[in-house]
Amino acid sequence: MRNAERLCLAHFWVAFGAFLFACVLGAWQMWVRSPLGAKIGTPGDYFMSVTAHGVSMAYVLTTFFIMGFGYFVAVTALNRPLPGWIWAWGAFWMGILGVVLALISIGSGHASVLFTFYPPLTANVWFYIGLVLVVAASWVWCALMLVAMHAWKVDNPGRPVPLAMFATVANAVMWLWTTVGVAAELLFQVIPASLGLVQTIDVGMSRTLFSWTLHAIVYFWLIPAYIAFYTLAPRAAGGRLYSDTMGRLTFILFLIYSLPVGMHHLLMDPEHGNGTKFIQVLLTAFVAAPTLLTIFTITASMEIAGRLRGGRGVFGWIATLPWKRPMVLAIGLALVMLGFGGFGGIINMAYGMNAMVHNTSWVTAHFHLIFGGSVVIMYFAIAYEIWPRLTGRDHASLAPLRLQLWLWFTGMMVMTLPWHWLGLQGQWRRVSNFNYADPIIAAWGPWVVVSFVGGIILLTSAILFVWNLVTLHRSEVRAIAKPLYALAVHPPRRVPAALNGFGLWNVLVLVLMLLAYGFPIAQFVIEPSPAAIVHRVR
Amino acid sequence: MSDTPHEVHESRILRTELLWAFGVGIFVAASLSMIVFTALTLNVNPPSNVERIDPKTLHLSGEFAEQNLGTTVFGDGTVIVRAIATQFMFVPQCFAVPANRRVTLRFASPDVIHGLLITGTNVNTMVVPGFVAQVHTEFTRTGDLLMPCHEFCGQGHSEMWATVQVLPVDLFKPGPDGRVSCAKR
Amino acid sequence: MQSDESSAADSKLEVADEVDETALASVMRTVPLGAAVLAGATVALLVLGYLLIYTLVFIPRGTVG
Repeated sequence: MRNAERLCLAHFWVAFGAFLFACVLGAWQMWVRSPLGAKIGTPGDYFMSVTAHGVSMAYVLTTFFIMGFGYFVAVTALNRPLPGWIWAWGAFWMGILGVVLALISIGSGHASVLFTFYPPLTANVWFYIGLVLVVAASWVWCALMLVAMHAWKVDNPGRPVPLAMFATVANAVMWLWTTVGVAAELLFQVIPASLGLVQTIDVGMSRTLFSWTLHAIVYFWLIPAYIAFYTLAPRAAGGRLYSDTMGRLTFILFLIYSLPVGMHHLLMDPEHGNGTKFIQVLLTAFVAAPTLLTIFTITASMEIAGRLRGGRGVFGWIATLPWKRPMVLAIGLALVMLGFGGFGGIINMAYGMNAMVHNTSWVTAHFHLIFGGSVVIMYFAIAYEIWPRLTGRDHASLAPLRLQLWLWFTGMMVMTLPWHWLGLQGQWRRVSNFNYADPIIAAWGPWVVVSFVGGIILLTSAILFVWNLVTLHRSEVRAIAKPLYALAVHPPRRVPAALNGFGLWNVLVLVLMLLAYGFPIAQFVIEPSPAAIVHRVR
Repeated sequence: MSDTPHEVHESRILRTELLWAFGVGIFVAASLSMIVFTALTLNVNPPSNVERIDPKTLHLSGEFAEQNLGTTVFGDGTVIVRAIATQFMFVPQCFAVPANRRVTLRFASPDVIHGLLITGTNVNTMVVPGFVAQVHTEFTRTGDLLMPCHEFCGQGHSEMWATVQVLPVDLFKPGPDGRVSCAKR
Repeated sequence: MQSDESSAADSKLEVADEVDETALASVMRTVPLGAAVLAGATVALLVLGYLLIYTLVFIPRGTVG
């Protein structure tokens, strides 16, 4: 495992380093846009910070964490060495180069385009090249995940791929499909514009291509958290996974339905009509299915654990769960945040009702709560769970871990709940400073301060998280090898080929993408939108 | 050959999952039906008009030339507001609309992506260079509303907003050319 | 981990846990009652919240198209 340990830790430290940096920026941003920091910072500073914050959280924390966790799963779930670890290290360094290029160009002030970088606003080319390198590194990871699973299947004919690996590869396949949109946008439109090879750009096309990636990417981020729900949490709670089959089905449903729904981010856009918008809203309703199935399956799995520990009656099993264990605490807190975050999500996707919330603080609240909240808290829990295996040391005490998780949950709720309210009042997004003299805006002031307090709590939690991991490296306690992955109530001896591979599902993804994105993209190829002039950001 | 207890048990598990899926499926279908119903009967839709316009020339002539911007009442009574969203202002920075009457708002951008909402209403649209953004609505309450640009459009984004004056019927008086300007406050 | 020590998760595909099969069979007679009630109540609340926001906040703000 030796090389794999270093490989995993390298990825995780880059991820968590970027995370901590982004939390500091986030807290500063919240101060500056609140009444308390009204005189601090210029718009230039603010939008540079938001760009760095978004890139670090959405592209660096996520991609590096997912790659590191994927390598870990490939080795431990399949019980074999990682194939092609030279490629893995090569990809790591390529990713590092990409991050450095992106951050330097952001820091130079020539790339304040935010992590969504919507053309015609155009940054320095090194910003985009940096992002391309990170994506390319992740593609190498995808290939290695596929190779690892394939090699295992060849050596284990007829056996079900362990669920954790099946889900990881589902995520890798989905990521390959997902990145096509942004890669096409960057390679064919944005980078040529940034280099000055073209002076105009088709914005209808670029918006549409980016939307292809923009929704599916959140499921790329989310699936590792669900892997923890299905394959780590039941064991941590002392129970069993309610159904292995449902686990497989869930990840397959994410693969199919995460992609052809990106247009629900464009419901307020003028370049598409009702028809395509409605089709993608319908498909978005389908992507709610795997989450709805998951909350039942995982709650049932926790119920098994609770009842095995003596819980009686309809709810008695909740109290008897071993909440002292960080993984169990995290899943409880994650599911609460998933409830609130999911609520925001079903409002966002509700076709006409999107008009009530689009580009308001409601949206900011939604994705901080659902991603920053329910997903990232599971990243913490995964790290706490597997760090002993990676370092050979164990936590001296679990209390600081639980404290950190509670702080994260509290901070996230305090930060995001007021934002939902403010969004309904009309507070809009991506603003460096508000004119608190205006009576409408003045009423928002106190709530902005409340959510700033939430941000401070989050920063405290982020520091404690990194501290907990650092102290573990130096812990005196030796790690005792113990099993990690959960068993199902009925571990399957065989599963149908459709639940053990992705051939069939790739065909379905293609069909759905043609249905959902075929015309929307083809229309701009056949007849490009009236071209807009490229606007270089300083 | 009869199923082993294992398989019987697993099929029971799958049946409960199916039952659950059916139950939530009903909720999902009900929500979707409501969406379809209100779209068809109450005309609740996201902005749906797809209309191209050249961002490089829209200010020179035609509908979005400067003299045509703002509120115009046509002979047949239709009220149309035209505004340009540009770095970093709306032109005009204030426009007047009548209360309780159908209004059509049309926006275009000559430069980058902007967006707008009108506080207290469901008016919300992106303004994408290359396309006219159109929203129909009816303002139900009088007063001054805020219309900020809500999509990042550059360093001046935070300062970009317009005022919408919703005027009661007696104060909404078009001039001989059908134009209505904001009341002086 | 020490250099060549493998974790217990490495050694077998499905590593036995501490769950007693008899106890499991016994609790499986009740499961998933609690989950159905808890998850069902949560989803019902979400749907209720959705309907309330739709009818009390969204529609009163005016129809748009």
